[in-house]
Amino acid sequence: MKTTTIRNCVAAALLAGPALFAGTVKLLNVSYDPTRELYQDINAAFARQWKAKTGVDVEISQSHGGSGKQARSVIDGLQADVVTLGLAYDIDSIAEHARLLPANWQTRLADNSTPYTSTIVFLVRHGNPKHIKDWDDLVRPGVSVIAPNPKSSGGARWAYLAAWGYALKKNNGDDRKAQEFVTRLYKNVPVLDSGARGSTTTFAQRGIGDVLLGWENEAFLALNELGKDKVEVVTPSISILAEPPVAVVDKIAAKHGTAQVARAYLEFLYTPEGQEIGARHYYRPRSPEVAAKYASRFAKVQLFTIDELFGGWQKAQKRHFDDGGVFDQIYLQGR
Amino acid sequence: MAQATDQKLEQLQKQVDELEQEVKVAERKQELAEEAAAAKAKTEATVTADTGGFTIRSPGGNYLLKIGADLQLDNRTYLGTGAGSDIDTLVARRVRPTFSGTIYKYIDFMFRPDFGQGTTAIYDAYAQLNYLPWANLRVGKFKPPVGLERLQSDDDTSFVERGLPSDLGPQRDIGYQLSADLFHKRANYAVGVFNGVPDASIGTDTAVSDHRDYSARIFLTPFLPEQGPLSGVGIGLGASGGNTDGEALPSFKTFGQEAFFTFASGVTAAGHRTRLDPQAYYYLGPFGLLAEYALNEEGFQKSGVRREIAFRAYQAEVSYILTGEKKSFASPTPRRSFDPLHGGWGAVELAARVGDWEAEKGIYNYGLASDATSPRHLHEWVGGVNWYWNRLFKVAADYGKTDFGGGAANGNKLPERVILLRFQINFI
Repeated sequence: MKTTTIRNCVAAALLAGPALFAGTVKLLNVSYDPTRELYQDINAAFARQWKAKTGVDVEISQSHGGSGKQARSVIDGLQADVVTLGLAYDIDSIAEHARLLPANWQTRLADNSTPYTSTIVFLVRHGNPKHIKDWDDLVRPGVSVIAPNPKSSGGARWAYLAAWGYALKKNNGDDRKAQEFVTRLYKNVPVLDSGARGSTTTFAQRGIGDVLLGWENEAFLALNELGKDKVEVVTPSISILAEPPVAVVDKIAAKHGTAQVARAYLEFLYTPEGQEIGARHYYRPRSPEVAAKYASRFAKVQLFTIDELFGGWQKAQKRHFDDGGVFDQIYLQGR
Repeated sequence: MAQATDQKLEQLQKQVDELEQEVKVAERKQELAEEAAAAKAKTEATVTADTGGFTIRSPGGNYLLKIGADLQLDNRTYLGTGAGSDIDTLVARRVRPTFSGTIYKYIDFMFRPDFGQGTTAIYDAYAQLNYLPWANLRVGKFKPPVGLERLQSDDDTSFVERGLPSDLGPQRDIGYQLSADLFHKRANYAVGVFNGVPDASIGTDTAVSDHRDYSARIFLTPFLPEQGPLSGVGIGLGASGGNTDGEALPSFKTFGQEAFFTFASGVTAAGHRTRLDPQAYYYLGPFGLLAEYALNEEGFQKSGVRREIAFRAYQAEVSYILTGEKKSFASPTPRRSFDPLHGGWGAVELAARVGDWEAEKGIYNYGLASDATSPRHLHEWVGGVNWYWNRLFKVAADYGKTDFGGGAANGNKLPERVILLRFQINFI
């Protein structure tokens, strides 16, 4: 028993040692596009908590971009201590291609390493001049839809699959009709940004399009920034349960001596304080208590999962988003 | 009527809105394309082609490959009948593709073969670790740190062929070297261990005995980096010590590239070799002065008896760029490249050199050479003009006269008088 305790202490010292001796621990969180504001608040709160708990200052840098692009950057050498990406497939890619973390990374934290969830909604112009209420309205001729590129953006992949899932359910699982529906939808997309934040800029700042298809939190952020007299959030009848996961990048964190603080950082997301910060930024909390407290923020919507309709991310990615996949076919066809 | 007008207005407004959307979409697409191009530039390699050669550079510059070329075509015209092998000729003096660059940020490399004069040889093949600013480690085949003019690039010398002191120093050798600029470039040092090669030779790329040559050079430019009348002063000393056992005998050449000295039959290189090379230059505006003295003691053996022979050589050269460009250890860059239709004529430089070479008299007395075939004293003077068309192309014309002491059955070998004309492309 004593030996185990000593061994654990030695292990903890070895893990945390280099960082502790450095005075200020530095972490790099490589995240997807719309989480800038969320992690600014999370970082500040965690730094306070970590300082109070250990006496050590922690400084967390953020890197944002399309989820797929960010994963590629980490594979190519970006020194991320933690990744907080738009979908599990992108972290799987890091595990598979760079072997920086184990393949079972998703089992290491609660709720499949997804401390918060989200979904896909619509943001329309004030007064909803094109009368957009549900998915079918997006494929009407003359409706201009703004969405990022599923090849580079995690949010865009969720949005694409949300549309596909809606069409599948509406047409009793008819895959051909679902593909027709999504083809028509992307025919109405005049600009493909590389990330969700870029699409928001296209829609909100550049004044392009009638509806922005994107993350729920991003839509509310735009609503708060632009004002209710400019835009409105429309929640469709059915959408997808988007689960953006988080993980420590083991090999890089070990190299930096930040493994312990990196794990604590991600665990903080599950704490009541972390969950509340998430909810305030319109990420749906996992904690029932926090979810209940912020229930009025989130519209009730029927949500399906990726496992349920697509057999998980690996299958969905291979069929729809890999080079030469369905998205390439329909987007080229739609042009 | 009013209703029809309203409908028309509404239709027009719709068309304007649609057009406005199309313009905005086009602008946004352009914006995204520019963003993508900027992002690409940060993550993808750049390829450039300019006066410095063809360059492929990784983002951040940690990896670099430069491909260049060094071509020299010479026309040698011997006047009179003085020199032994005085056949006028055109010769591809140097034909050297050059591959150089950087890997892993700190490691530079250079690979340069030569296909000139009908031979194939590797002249430079080395890697240099630049991690410590005060000790750069170079490994491979390169110029050992001894002679001043030898260390000057072939393309930057003021004359078509180097002076007589370069006959007494190593040309290229394989070894290790530590070197660096210190004290804000006021001092440069280099120390190295090499296989050892005969004078003016590039060796055989393998050691011929267990002995090694040790070379060192210190060169001071004490008035740098301030700009003033003395900032172009450089003074130094190069030296090497080693052993000649098993090496080929040295071959000494005149300005016209005639091998003028033949050792007697049965002579081999054996014993110690010491080289000393005090050296200096001075540059001020378009004016340049370079001076070098070489003193060697080399061991030879004949019939089981070893002798040490001293060789001495010096040169002093002056140059002046008529078009006013700044003279330095490297070639000048013309203020106006050659483009007569637009008033550009390049840069023109005049240069003159005097030099001397001598072997001690013992070389005859000990039977190592015959005064009837091998002169032991040379005196040369060279005058020349260099016309730099641009950074890449140069035409040089030199006249050189070399007088010999000894080397003929009835006294002195007849003088060599030669005109060397060079066309040079230096694309590195």
